[in-house]
Amino acid sequence: MGLLYALMQLGQRCDCTEHELLYERTISGLRGELHTLQQIMQRKESKQQDTGHLPPIYVITPTYARLVQKAELTRLLHTFLLVPALHWILVEDAPHKTSLVSNLLKSSGLSYTHLNMLTAPQRKLQEGEPNWLKPRGVEQRNEGLRWLREDRPSTGGASEQGVVYFADDDNTYSLQLFQEMRSTQKVSVWPVGLVGAMKYESPVVQGGQVVGFHTGWRPSRPFPVDMAGFAVSLRLLLERPEARFHGDAAQGFLESSLLQGLVTVDELEPRADNCTKVLVWHTRTEKPKLKREDVLQAQGQGSDPRVENVFTLARHQDLSWGRCGLMWLCVELTTGQA
Amino acid sequence: MPKRRDILAIVLIVLPWTLLITVWHQNAIAPLLAIRKDDGADGKRDAAGLGQDSKEYCASDKDIVEVVRTEYVYTRPPPWSDVLPTIHIITPTYSRPVQKAELTRLANTFLHVPNLHWILVEDSQRRTALVTRLLRETGLNYTHLNVETPRNYKLRGDTRDPRIPRGTMQRNLALRWLRETFNANSSQVGIVYFADDDNTYSLELFEEMRSTRKVSVWPVAFVGGLRYESPKVNAAGKVYGWKTVFDPHRPFAIDMAGFAINLRLILFKPQAYFKLRGVKGGYQESSLLRELVTLNDLEPKAANCTKILVWHTRTEKPVLVNEGKKGFTDPNVEI
Repeated sequence: MGLLYALMQLGQRCDCTEHELLYERTISGLRGELHTLQQIMQRKESKQQDTGHLPPIYVITPTYARLVQKAELTRLLHTFLLVPALHWILVEDAPHKTSLVSNLLKSSGLSYTHLNMLTAPQRKLQEGEPNWLKPRGVEQRNEGLRWLREDRPSTGGASEQGVVYFADDDNTYSLQLFQEMRSTQKVSVWPVGLVGAMKYESPVVQGGQVVGFHTGWRPSRPFPVDMAGFAVSLRLLLERPEARFHGDAAQGFLESSLLQGLVTVDELEPRADNCTKVLVWHTRTEKPKLKREDVLQAQGQGSDPRVENVFTLARHQDLSWGRCGLMWLCVELTTGQA
Repeated sequence: MPKRRDILAIVLIVLPWTLLITVWHQNAIAPLLAIRKDDGADGKRDAAGLGQDSKEYCASDKDIVEVVRTEYVYTRPPPWSDVLPTIHIITPTYSRPVQKAELTRLANTFLHVPNLHWILVEDSQRRTALVTRLLRETGLNYTHLNVETPRNYKLRGDTRDPRIPRGTMQRNLALRWLRETFNANSSQVGIVYFADDDNTYSLELFEEMRSTRKVSVWPVAFVGGLRYESPKVNAAGKVYGWKTVFDPHRPFAIDMAGFAINLRLILFKPQAYFKLRGVKGGYQESSLLRELVTLNDLEPKAANCTKILVWHTRTEKPVLVNEGKKGFTDPNVEI
């Protein structure tokens, strides 16, 4: 009977859930261990490389005071902290270095240089003017270049090693991007996402060489690439001390104004898998809407003195006190037009 | 007539064979069953990290809200300590052009936080390859879930309708996952935080929330039409109100990014979820918190709610007019 019982069992599915769970857990655990070990190895390798053998990446970022500045710089430095041998050159569009930026840099843990340079008056964007009207960040990036050429502390024979990258403070950068640019000999290029009113813009590569550019806007420009789409070797910049950004360049020609003095198109080095991967995105951050701040102020509860007060707003909107009786009514009218 | 010794003899012969066959049966069939499971025979999901999302799984005819059971790959990222409480970060996400960028820079922030477990919940029918790959490459500790918001709950077109709370089903799914995964009686300490994928978080924020006993709160920048919204804290260090303009009389006039909950509280109150229907704009947070704590229980952080450690940034929708109708760029290139 026992035999019969056993023979009958042969045809049935067994209840093996315990086995399955055990399998799953074991596999999951093993995968986890494997990943851990891979991570440890990766970190050990990068640490060994970091003892000065890696060519440094100099990132030049122009920045200016606005509501989202601290947030932008915070998440930007989180990315930079993960890149070995990176030196951040942060240039404020301000008459003096602000304490906000100074404190941020000091507590960041990054290797950095803090500079400031005001935008020329003719290039200063006025309230209400669209971003694309005037080229932005010109003076700040050029100041960064000047520092690299004149003030950068030289550390012996290999002091000309390095790559220079222009990173705006609202874009998004993957870590792989910095790996790709480190081997730049002259100028390297790659695709940039969410720019040129397209999903991405990109150099066109054939046989490992750049033969053209995939862009939706004025492809006849000498270098129709975005600021975030190229990096220049430090050596090349030092060899051509007159190369800089020209603020009087036409719209969209700012990048060309620098690159024209450095390379020709066929000298460009394609990266990111022959320019087939997007490793950087031209993200833009919305301007926060602060309508209710005025209401708080009118109620006497807005305690921050830096918020524009009601009288200033009223003057801008050209309201006369005769027309609105209560102060809160004035605020409503003002915010309605804001 | 069977004699006793005959019976004994038969039993002694048959018994070992029975045992042998039964044991052999169990060992042989189990691996076969495991392989069969890979084919999705009983509709279960395979391991997350093996890039098998292209396989179809049998979508059941049940309600869309059904939990998609997934296996999570619990890896140890850079820094991990055996002493620190784990921070479980719940992030709902959805496909749009800036998604990969947002998740990339969010991951770059999370990589600095010790003992972080990221629960990323996609608003989609299936877990997408983009997110699967991204999570795997970051090396973070993660759980990848998905649940699709039914169309009648989704925002109509692009207009912002504050009456329909976005991300609710995804956050609820994550809460359910936590309750199914963790035992209320275990000594594991954890903190739960709801982090949207377009906000900006300082590293200090995560250290502030780690000491949460029940629910901790702090100011959030750029919400409610203000530079920041903040809880009102009295001299005794207790929260007694909310410094907001928009409906300060809400039970909890606070943004999703402005509070964290101790995991034990989530497990002890298994009925507490975000309310999905009939929630007025701005009341979504209250719909969960009022089932968990009272105002008096709130723990103010960030120097008694005087420092800004999180910003409610929003990313502009990119203009893609040059793509035209047919699409100018190669659709195979992932952005």
